[in-house]
Amino acid sequence: MGIPARLVIISSFFLLYSTAAIGRDKPVPEEYGRVIINNFSSRAGLAPVRFNHWLHRAIFTCRLCHVDIGFAMQANETKIKADTIVKGFYCGACHNGARIYSGRKIFAACSTKTVKPEERKRCDRCHSVGKNLEKKIDYTSFTAQLPKQKYWNLVDWEEAEADWLIRPIDFLEGVSVQRPALNAQKDFSITSKSTWMPDIIFSHKKHNEWNGCEVCHPEIFPSVKKDAVKYSMLEISGGQYCGVCHGRVAFPLDECERCHSKPVAR
Amino acid sequence: MKRIVLVVFVLLTVTTVTIAQTGLKKRRPLPFEYGKVILNNYSEKAGLAPVVFDHWLHRARFTCRLCHVDIAFAMKAGTTGITASDNMSGYYCGTCHNGKRTFDGKKIFESCGIKYPLADNKQCARCHSLGKNVDRKYDFVKFTEGFPKERFGNGINWEKTEADSYVTLVDYLEGVTIQRKPLSIPKDITVEPKQAGMPEIIFSHKKHAAWTGCELCHPEIFVGLKKGDTKYSMTEIFLGRYCGVCHGNVAFPLLDCQRCHTKPVEHDTSALLR
Amino acid sequence: MIKHIMLAAIVIVIAIFSVIQIVSEKVPFLSAGTAYAQDEWKKEFDALCSETQDAMLMSHEKLHDLVARCDALKPRIESLDESQRKVMLKRLKMCKDFYVYVLQSKESK
Repeated sequence: MGIPARLVIISSFFLLYSTAAIGRDKPVPEEYGRVIINNFSSRAGLAPVRFNHWLHRAIFTCRLCHVDIGFAMQANETKIKADTIVKGFYCGACHNGARIYSGRKIFAACSTKTVKPEERKRCDRCHSVGKNLEKKIDYTSFTAQLPKQKYWNLVDWEEAEADWLIRPIDFLEGVSVQRPALNAQKDFSITSKSTWMPDIIFSHKKHNEWNGCEVCHPEIFPSVKKDAVKYSMLEISGGQYCGVCHGRVAFPLDECERCHSKPVAR
Repeated sequence: MKRIVLVVFVLLTVTTVTIAQTGLKKRRPLPFEYGKVILNNYSEKAGLAPVVFDHWLHRARFTCRLCHVDIAFAMKAGTTGITASDNMSGYYCGTCHNGKRTFDGKKIFESCGIKYPLADNKQCARCHSLGKNVDRKYDFVKFTEGFPKERFGNGINWEKTEADSYVTLVDYLEGVTIQRKPLSIPKDITVEPKQAGMPEIIFSHKKHAAWTGCELCHPEIFVGLKKGDTKYSMTEIFLGRYCGVCHGNVAFPLLDCQRCHTKPVEHDTSALLR
Repeated sequence: MIKHIMLAAIVIVIAIFSVIQIVSEKVPFLSAGTAYAQDEWKKEFDALCSETQDAMLMSHEKLHDLVARCDALKPRIESLDESQRKVMLKRLKMCKDFYVYVLQSKESK
């Protein structure tokens, strides 16, 4: 094989396994986990919605929003409308001007009536793309005391919870329904397709803390049997399977050793 | 050359994500949307919007058996092949929606009575409403106010709703249903799951037969004659077969594992991690 | 004379032929002679399919008989108009298949 061909193959592997390299240099901590939502905002004459995950994930489990409240896990997929929010679904489950958090009422989102100019500030709290507004809660000061990950100075949420710096809420009155807990499966290893990468140790216990069962099963991982669903890093980099969370909100795929952690037997 | 590889890679991932059915968490229908069926065998060809059938209102009034056995609706959108002439002859929707049969003291509106022009007809738009902003006569939230709640699906515990007499389900239609003696119901069955550690499923014939009778499930959906005859797993169920025929779109969804997996596993705790 | 006799003979033959046709249902426009009257097929259907809830307790013979009667009813239902045919064929199928199902389960024991 000639040198140009080998270069192509090697560089394509790099591209395949380093999604972060495409489109941007490295994740910016404050922007990591940001979702821009614009199904209907522009049509309604509002700026698209900017949802930063970091604040909500410090307060709630993934399960609460993505299972109990029912948000999809892809931007623009949920198709949230203002009248649905006002009825108390999606954002409106909490952002209804009545529910209390930390001793204060959570501001109401949206309105189905014409909004007066002086009330537009409330809309702009979420419909904020392109606007330079003062944030009520600042990222840097909020995350100053939280432990950071090895790369990119991202917050290490797992460590933060282990240190009791955050206590994610998993139950919402009037929305969540208590169930007896299902037993978590033991940790298991997933064999890596490439011989030079260590096997993956997947921990159900760590994931169950925040996800319960229903975040992943059956929609993201439809089979309950190990190895029944075939996928590779290609699908993961593309935002499927592990990539639904990792690379978008949970720790990015650059940190190979976070998953590929089983020592290779010599 | 690198650019071509990059373009190919991006195209590959975009395509796989767009056509992917698994590996993604897509939008879940809201409580008032759950159970919606779109019927469009002939509507668009006839110049009408496709029909939007919301199950929740009818299931609060009638048993599954009445529509799916006595009136012979199929259990999959588009497979019944309902035509306007069927309805006007008093079959399918027209069995009740004929302008004569009464419910709660009021006449049920006629479906598919030909009145031209079809496209402007407000009466047609009551059902042929896909893409239209039609004012529904019954609002889901108001109608189900006070009903015992559950998570997922319609957000209603229909079983308890009936048990607590919020609704009384009609199982007999004059001139359609055959007069018969009450059903003798087989015993509950325990189904062992394939996955170690998952609680066993207790299948209650009593709960199901109250709404489905026998013919709805046997033999079309469950062809096995004895327990263990038909081999199926969660994979087939998620694909809409067996339990998934109902518990995919209309009955409580498969997302709620513990609704079926209710019997705690007593043996072999070595695989469990608490 | 011969003319009269021939005429009479023709009339008698036609009369006999017509009677035979009526009895054997071969002449379509003489619909009064069908085996099931207007609603009798419905009565038969109701009689057949009203016993599904007792199927588990029936004998082999009874189940065989019910299945055979369902098969016999099918052609009559196929001759109904389109809408009625669609609905009643499905209902008959569900009812007959259920009897077959129960019969097979008894036979496999």
